[in-house]
Amino acid sequence: MTPTPTPARAAARTAAPVPHRAATTLLTLVVPLAVMVATVALALAWRDRLPDPVASHWGPDGVDGASSFAGLLSIVPLLGLPAAVLAWWFAFAAGRSALSRRTAAAVALWTSTFTCALTVVTLSAQLDVDHWSQARDLDGGLALTFAVPVVVALLGAWATPGDGPAPAASPVPDTAPRLPLPDGGQAAWLRRVDWVHPGVIVALVVGFSAFMGAVTRSWWFPVTVGVFLLAVLLGLSGWTVTVDARGLVAKARLPRPRLVVPLDEVEHAEVVTVHPLREFGGWGLRVGLGGRVGVVVRSGEAIEVTRTGGRRVVVTVDDAATAAALLNTLAARARG
Amino acid sequence: MLIRLDPSAPEPIYAQIAAQVRSAAARGELEPGERLPAARDLAESLQVNLHTVLRAYQELRDAGLIELRRGRGAVVAAGAARDLAPLADAVQALASTARRLGVPPETTLALVKEALR
Repeated sequence: MTPTPTPARAAARTAAPVPHRAATTLLTLVVPLAVMVATVALALAWRDRLPDPVASHWGPDGVDGASSFAGLLSIVPLLGLPAAVLAWWFAFAAGRSALSRRTAAAVALWTSTFTCALTVVTLSAQLDVDHWSQARDLDGGLALTFAVPVVVALLGAWATPGDGPAPAASPVPDTAPRLPLPDGGQAAWLRRVDWVHPGVIVALVVGFSAFMGAVTRSWWFPVTVGVFLLAVLLGLSGWTVTVDARGLVAKARLPRPRLVVPLDEVEHAEVVTVHPLREFGGWGLRVGLGGRVGVVVRSGEAIEVTRTGGRRVVVTVDDAATAAALLNTLAARARG
Repeated sequence: MLIRLDPSAPEPIYAQIAAQVRSAAARGELEPGERLPAARDLAESLQVNLHTVLRAYQELRDAGLIELRRGRGAVVAAGAARDLAPLADAVQALASTARRLGVPPETTLALVKEALR
């Protein structure tokens, strides 16, 4: 028996600092804070031109609720600050994978710009009116309130530094499962995994949009939201998982985002059992609290890849044992 | 679905792909209605020509194992639902017996072909 190297390897792995902490701080903390401060400053500058109290709620028949100026403005720090701080803390402490950092940036930026856009649009609709009940309709502003945060969040995810190449230095451990391969032959393992049947998604989104249309008595807004939801949900619900000479790839119907682990960054792969809600807070392309990232579309069997740089990648898929064994075999063979 | 190509085997690549899809179905790993990987994806993964994979899929379609549908790709046919697990088990047993007795694969195959006539 040789002494087990596990504790030393684990220590070496966790000793590597989480990368790109400066960029993380900029995108999850500095930019959201700047947006919030600017919004509060703008609101204060507008204060003399606003009614008191201010209009704060719009129904199908126009404005129908009011609140104090301070109460309305307070949603900016109340929603934006905790989101930014939590996202920053998560990416700072556990952002070893680019997907974790991108998600944190997107969450912090979306939440802060959404609350700020909502506040600015709400206040601008009642500039220079005498009483809150005279506030103008929000139509165009409401569209901006939904579009701008999505665009800003996507920009933030795009601007987040990715993972550079990080080839593994150590061989694939002998204990990792393998499978027999013909000498010099290609091998591939492919499998599809679906979150729910596409028909269910279409039915739910159409139902939701129809309900929203009935409540708001408008059509453009429910249709826009419905099309957006359909594109995102259909685009990211069905995944094709591939293990081959390139490594592990999970891609959805949309070309991006996708999950790629290059073969030379695979330390080893194994089969695990995943509980999406408990471990990842939901289903889809997820980041887990421990910094694990993955495609988690159902509970049960999954392949978990330990990647260089202390990263771990999970994909829920049937027949994960074959996928893990093939990935280990290909990685070992490529490393000579 | 696992596909392994053996460059030293006498069968052409498309036949190797078709044979492995067939045995995966026989082992019950592919269920009726299940979608096979898109031919383009499989060709990319195996680093072979797209037409090689399409030829394998066409052969499987001619054998009634899969259906090729426009827009949905290759789907495992309902007729493929026959439970061939007992046969897969018997083949496994045959293979291990042959190994234990040290009978070379060619001889075993010859015996099987003889028995199937």
